[in-house]
Amino acid sequence: MAGSNEVNLNECKMVVPLNTWVLISSFKLAYNLLRRPDGTFNRHLAEFLDRKVPANLNPVDGVFSFDVLIDRATGLLCRIYRPATAEEPEPNIVELEKPVVGDVVPVIIFFHGGSFAHSSANSAIYDTLCRRLVGICKAVVVSVNYRRAPENRYPCAYDDGWTAFKWVNSRSWLQSRKDSKVHIYLAGDSSGGNIAHHVAARAVESGIDVLGNILLNPMFGGQERTESEKRLDGKYFVTLRDRDWYWRAFLPEGENRDHPACNPFGPNGRSLEGIKFPKSLVVVAGLDLIQDWQLAYVEGLRKAGKEVKLLYMEQATIGFYLLPNNNHFHTVMDEISEFVSSDC
Amino acid sequence: MKRDHQEISGSGSNPAESSSIKGKLWEEDPDAGGMDDELLAVLGYKVRSSDMADVAQKLEMLEKVMGTAQEDGISQLGDTVHFNPSDLSGWVQNLLIEFNGSTTTPDPNFNDDSEYDLRAIPGVAAYPPVKSDPGLENTRKRAKTESSSSSSSTTTRPVVLIDSQETGVRLVHTLMACAEAVQQDNLKLADALVKHIGLLASSQTGAMRKVATYFAEALARRIYRIFPPDSLDPSYNDKLQMHFYETCPYLKFAHFTANQAILEAFSMANRVHVIDFGLKQGMQWPALMQALALRPGGPPAFRLTGIGPPQPDDTDALQQVGWKLAELAERIGIEFEFRGFVANSLADLEPEMLDIRPPEIEVVAVNAVFELHPLLARPGGIEKVVSSIKAMKPKIVTVVEQEANHNGPVFLDRFTEALHYYSTLFDSLEGSGVAPPSQDLAMSELYLGRQICNVVACEGMDRVERHEPLTQWRTRMETAGFSPVHLGSNAYKQASMLLSLFASGDGYRVEENNGCLMLGWHTRPLIATSAWRLAGTESGSELTQELS
Repeated sequence: MAGSNEVNLNECKMVVPLNTWVLISSFKLAYNLLRRPDGTFNRHLAEFLDRKVPANLNPVDGVFSFDVLIDRATGLLCRIYRPATAEEPEPNIVELEKPVVGDVVPVIIFFHGGSFAHSSANSAIYDTLCRRLVGICKAVVVSVNYRRAPENRYPCAYDDGWTAFKWVNSRSWLQSRKDSKVHIYLAGDSSGGNIAHHVAARAVESGIDVLGNILLNPMFGGQERTESEKRLDGKYFVTLRDRDWYWRAFLPEGENRDHPACNPFGPNGRSLEGIKFPKSLVVVAGLDLIQDWQLAYVEGLRKAGKEVKLLYMEQATIGFYLLPNNNHFHTVMDEISEFVSSDC
Repeated sequence: MKRDHQEISGSGSNPAESSSIKGKLWEEDPDAGGMDDELLAVLGYKVRSSDMADVAQKLEMLEKVMGTAQEDGISQLGDTVHFNPSDLSGWVQNLLIEFNGSTTTPDPNFNDDSEYDLRAIPGVAAYPPVKSDPGLENTRKRAKTESSSSSSSTTTRPVVLIDSQETGVRLVHTLMACAEAVQQDNLKLADALVKHIGLLASSQTGAMRKVATYFAEALARRIYRIFPPDSLDPSYNDKLQMHFYETCPYLKFAHFTANQAILEAFSMANRVHVIDFGLKQGMQWPALMQALALRPGGPPAFRLTGIGPPQPDDTDALQQVGWKLAELAERIGIEFEFRGFVANSLADLEPEMLDIRPPEIEVVAVNAVFELHPLLARPGGIEKVVSSIKAMKPKIVTVVEQEANHNGPVFLDRFTEALHYYSTLFDSLEGSGVAPPSQDLAMSELYLGRQICNVVACEGMDRVERHEPLTQWRTRMETAGFSPVHLGSNAYKQASMLLSLFASGDGYRVEENNGCLMLGWHTRPLIATSAWRLAGTESGSELTQELS
C-alpha cells in the first residue's frame, strides 16, 4: 500500500487539472483530520476550515440569493437563488418573495454533498454550484441546509429534506402560471443525491409530483465489496475506509450498509414498480470507487420501469463539477439544462 | 522540483477528450505569475497560480508522510492550531511543519495555553457596589465640525428572512416606502406612511413588531426633526449595555475573542499594559485577569488604562471600575495598576498622556470594542486615533465592530441595511431563550433601539453609529500600517463552546474570515473581531514565520 502511494498520486494528477487536484486534495486532507477513529467528528475544526459565503441580495452574474429560516425548531435554513430581472436589477427585501414570472418556472431543490457529514448550504463550493444551476436552467434554486451526521443520524437529513420540500411546494410565489403549481426538481451531489432519491420517494408516496431527479455522483453503498470499490480504493482521492466511516456515522447504530437508506434496491430495499417515480438523470464518474452502486441504482430504476438517463463520465473523478475547467463539467451542465428545459 | 513535476505530467497518457484543456493548465502560464487562481478564489481559496505546483507538491509530501500514520488516523493533528484556511499554501505548509515535528504529542507552543476558564466570564454578580475615591484625569475639549461619511461600498447584502407572513412583508414594504419618501423629501407622504406603519406593526408579533416600532419612531423623529437629545447620560447607556451583555452573547464573544488575541500577544511578557478605549463597566477584564493569574510561570504585572466619557453628575465612573478590578486583582494575586482618562472623543487623546513605557519593559495592547466607528462622524477623527495607536507602540490591537454597512452616503441604502441588520439581531434575541418580557430583554432592545434611532434619525456629527463592514476596517488598518494577526482554530473552538454555554437556542454561528472571527445569527454575520500588529513587527503568536 505504501509503495503504491506514489503511483496513486501520479495517476490521480493525470486526469484532473492542477488546481482541481489541489482543491480536492486539500479537502481530502482536511477531512482526514476531522474523522476520528471512534466515530466522532471534529465539528469545530470542520466549521473553521469550511469556506463559507453569505447570501447576497446584490445580483452577481444575474443571480441573487437570500436565506430563509423555514423551521425555527430545528433551525432548518434554506438558501434561495433567483435570477435578477431586467425590471428589478437591484432587488430589495420586498422583492424577495415576489411571484416568479413565467408559464413554467422550474424550482430545483438542491441537497449539497459532503457524505452526510461535511459542508453546508452556505459553503462556497455549493453556493457557486447553485448559482450556476440558476443560470443554466433558468430556475429558482433552493439549497437545503440539512442536519448532518454524526450528530444527526438517519433520518434527520431526509426529514429536513422533506420539510424543505413541503415548504417549497406550499409557496404561492413559486407557482408557475401555467397550472398554479410549483414545478419541482430534486437535485444533489454525493449524499445530496442520496437525499434527493429518498425525498422523491416520499413525495410520490404523498401524492405530490416531482418533475425530475438530478443525481450527481450520488452516494449509495452496500455490504458487499464491489469490483469498482476494490479496483479504485485509494486511487482517486477516496478510500473505502472513509466511505465506511461516513455510513457508520449516518446510519442508525448497529445497522449495516444494506440498510435501505444506503442501498435502496438492495436486500432490504423496495422496488419502485408501479410507483410514479420521477424521471432521473444520474451522473456517474468513471473514477469514482462507488460507481458499481450507482450503476446498480440506475439498473434498479430501469428494472422498475422508471425513466432514467445515465451519464457515465469515463475519466471523471469525484468533484469534477466544482470547477468549470474540464469537459465533463460542461457536458453535464448541458445535460442538466436539457433535462429541466424539456418540460418547459 | 517544478521541472520534475512537469516531466511526470508530460509523460503520462492523456485521454484525448480533455488533453487540450489539461495541457494548457499544466504549463506554467508566464502571465499568471503573481495573480491568484481565479477559480479557487471563487471557492474561498487564495493561491497564486505560480504557487500552485508548489502547493501540490506539499500536499503530496503530506500525503506520503501521513500515509504511514493512517492506521492510527491522523485526527490528533486536529489538535494543531490552524490559521487562515483561505491561505492554502500557508495552511499546508504549517501542517507539514507540524507533522514533521511530532506525530503524537502536539507541540506545547500550540497547546491551548491561551485557553482560560470560561466560567470566569462574569455576570452582573461580578460587581458588588463599592465606594470610590475622587480624583480624575481630565481632558475636556469639544470640537464641532461637519463631516462627510465614508463612501466605499461593499458588494454583499446578506439577508436572513425569518418571517414570511403576509403582514410582515407589507410592514417592511411600508417602512421602505416611508424611508424612500423621506429620502425624496416628500414629508407629507412620509408622515402618512409612518402612521400606517404604526397600525401595521400593532398587528404583528415578536421581533418584527419591535423592530418596526423602533424604525418607525426613528423615521418619525427624522420627519418631524425631533432629534434624540445630544449626548445622553453615558451611565444610562452603560446600564443598557449591561443588560444587553446579559441577554445575548455578542458582547461576551467580543470580549472573549479580543482577550484570546491579547493573551497570546502577552504570552512572554512580564509587564503588560492594556489600553481600553471604552472602559464602561470593565466587563472584559476580569476574565483576562483570571487567565493571566493562571498562566504557567505566574502572572505578569497588569496595568489597565481605561478611557471613558465625562459623567454629567461628575462621578468618577472610571475610578469606580478601577477599584473593583483592583479588588479582584488582589484576590487573585496580580500586581495591578489602573488609570482612568476622561475624554469626549478618542480623537482628543494624546498618547503622551498615557505614560507609555518602553516595549522592552512593558507590552502594550490597545482594545477597541465598538469604539472606532463613532470616530467616522468627524473628519480626521479616525486618522488621528489610528496614528495615536501607532504612537502607543502596541504589540496587539484588538478591534471589534458591527458587521454592517450603515455608513453609506445614501440614506435609503443605510436604512435598508439597518433594517436587515437589526431585524436579524432582534430575532436572535427572541430566540435567545430568555423567558417572555424580562427586564434584561426589554433593556437590551432599548439599547439596540437607540442605535437604530441614531442610524436613521441623526446626521452629521450626531450620527455616531457609523458601522462599517470588516472589509473596510481591514483596508483602513492595512493602509495605516498594520498587519493582521490571525485568530486561529483554538480561538474559534472556544468561542463556539462559549456560545453553547451561554446562549440557549443554537442559531448563533462563529465564522472564520481571513484570520478574523465573526459571530452571526444563522448565516448572517453580525459582529467581527480582528487583531492587528504594527507592520514590520513580529506578533510572536503565529506558527507562520512570515515577516513583512
